[in-house]
Amino acid sequence: MTGQDRIEDLLRELAPQVLATLVRRYGQFDAGEDAVQEAMLAATLQWPGEGVPDRPRAWLLTVASRALVDTWRADSARRRRETAAALDPTGHATAAGFPVHLAAGLAGAEPDDTVALLFLCCHPALSPPSQLALTLRAVGGLTTAQIAAAFLVPEAAIAKRIVRAKQRIRDAGARFELPAHPQRTERLAVVLHVLYLIFNEGYTTSSGAALQRTDLIAEAIRLTRLLHRLLPGEAEAAGLLALMLLTDARRAARTDAHGRIVPLADQRRDRWDAAAIAEGQAILTRTLGTGPVGPYQLQAAIAALHDESPTAEATDWPQILALYDVLTTVAPGPVVTLSRAVALANVHGPLAGLALLGTLDADERMAHTHRLEAVRAHLLEQAGDTTAARDSYLRAATMTASLPEQRYLELRAARLQHPGPPGSPAD
Amino acid sequence: MKYMIMMFGGLGAATQDRSPEWIAGMHELLMKLDTELKESGECVASDALADPGQAKTVRFTGGAPVPTDGPFAEVKESLAGYWIIEADEDRALQIASQVVGYTGYPMEVRRIMDHSAQP
Repeated sequence: MTGQDRIEDLLRELAPQVLATLVRRYGQFDAGEDAVQEAMLAATLQWPGEGVPDRPRAWLLTVASRALVDTWRADSARRRRETAAALDPTGHATAAGFPVHLAAGLAGAEPDDTVALLFLCCHPALSPPSQLALTLRAVGGLTTAQIAAAFLVPEAAIAKRIVRAKQRIRDAGARFELPAHPQRTERLAVVLHVLYLIFNEGYTTSSGAALQRTDLIAEAIRLTRLLHRLLPGEAEAAGLLALMLLTDARRAARTDAHGRIVPLADQRRDRWDAAAIAEGQAILTRTLGTGPVGPYQLQAAIAALHDESPTAEATDWPQILALYDVLTTVAPGPVVTLSRAVALANVHGPLAGLALLGTLDADERMAHTHRLEAVRAHLLEQAGDTTAARDSYLRAATMTASLPEQRYLELRAARLQHPGPPGSPAD
Repeated sequence: MKYMIMMFGGLGAATQDRSPEWIAGMHELLMKLDTELKESGECVASDALADPGQAKTVRFTGGAPVPTDGPFAEVKESLAGYWIIEADEDRALQIASQVVGYTGYPMEVRRIMDHSAQP
C-alpha cells in the first residue's frame, strides 16, 4: 500500500466521524457535508507533501468548521446571526433547532454517530439511487467523481442527486439520531438493503460492459463491516457481511481471461478466496442462533455451502434446498422461488425444477427480468430438450440489460445450435 | 468535430443463426475497438442498447400519451449501440468500416451539431 493509499483510507475512515461531530455541533447536515468534502480535499492536497498531522481528526474538524463558517459568512445577514449563535462557545445554542444535549457532545463522534449518519443517508424519504449516492459520499467518504465513475454516470448527475437528497432530508425534518425501537428495526432493514444494493451494483452491474466494479464491492464490504462493528448484536447486519464475503470470495473465478461469465458449476475453485471464505464462515457461525434468523443469514448459509464444496458435484444440494425452504417461509418472493427451483432440480431432477418455474409464469414481478428464462433454459438443457432450451436462452438474451450476461446467453444458445466442430457453416 | 457512429442489428434475434465462434469473434472485435477508442481519447461516449423486444413506444392516442410495447419493426434494423467520437469524418468512416467488415450489418455515421458559434 502506498502512502497515498494510506492517506485515502485514513481520510475515508475519519470522514463520517468528522461529519457526525459537525452535525452535532451546528445541526446542519447539508452544509456540514459540503464542509467535510472541502476539508477532505484540502487534506488530499496537503498531507502527501507536508505529512499527516499528529491529530488528523482534529485537523479535519478545524478545516471543516472553518469552511462551514465561511459559507455562513457568504450567506445572508439572517444566516450570520445564526452563525453567531451556533459558534457560542458555551454550546448552549444550536443553529437548526437540534436538542441542546445533542449539540453538547463536542468531545468527538461517538460510535453511534456513524450509525446515526448511516440511518440519515438511508432515510426512507429518499429514492434508492439517492440513498446509495449519499451513503457513499457522507459515510463512505468517496468524492462525487469517484461515485460517478463507479455508477458510470456523469459527475454532474451524481452531484445533483446528492444536493436533492440533502434537500429532501431537510424537508422531511429528519433528525440526526438513532431511531427508537420498534422503528429502528424497520430503518435498519433499509440501511442493510442500501448496503446490499451497493454490493450488488458492483457485483452484477445492471448495465455496462464490465461485469464487476470492484470499488463498489470493496466499499459495500467496508461499510457493512463498520456497521457490524458498531452494532455487533444485530444478527442480520452480521449475516449481510458474511453473505458479501462469501459471495465476493468467488469473484476471480466468475469471469475468464476474456471477461466472459463462468457459471458456478464450471468455476475453478482453487481461484476462490480462501481467506474471505474463512472470515465469512466464522462470522456466520458466531451469528446463527443469536437472534431471529433473517434472509441475509440464510443466504449467507447457502453461499457458505457452495463455498465449502470441493467440487460442483459434491455440493450439498439437499441442505441448500432445505435452506431455501426456510427462506421461502421467512422472506417469500419470486427470486427466492427461482433459486429454489435450481436447488430442487439438483435434488429431484430438472423436471421438478421446471414445474416450480411454471408457477412463476403468471407473476408480474418476473415479466421484465431475464432470470426466469435463463434458469428455464439451463434446466431444459439439463433435461435434454435442446430446441426448447435454445429458444429460452435466446429469449433471455433479448431480455437482459447486462452485456456480459447477454453474451453468455447468446453463446449458450449458439452452442446448442452448433454441436459440430468449430468452423461449421454459420448460415 | 464529433460524430455519432450507430450500429444496427447484432443483438438477440439477429445473432440466432450465427455460430458460437462468429458471435465470440464479434464480441471480441467490439470490445477491442471500444478499448482502443477509449484509450486513444477519441471516444466521448459509447453504449449498447438493450434488445428492441424490450422497448416501449409512447404515442399520442385518444388525446393522451400512451406507452405501448414495441416498435415491432424489423428487429435486425433497430439501433443496437453507438459511439460518439471526437474525430474527422474519415476516421469515423474507418471505424465503422472495421465493424461492418466483420458483421455485415449496416452502420450510420452522423455529424453531431456543434454548440459553439464558429464551428
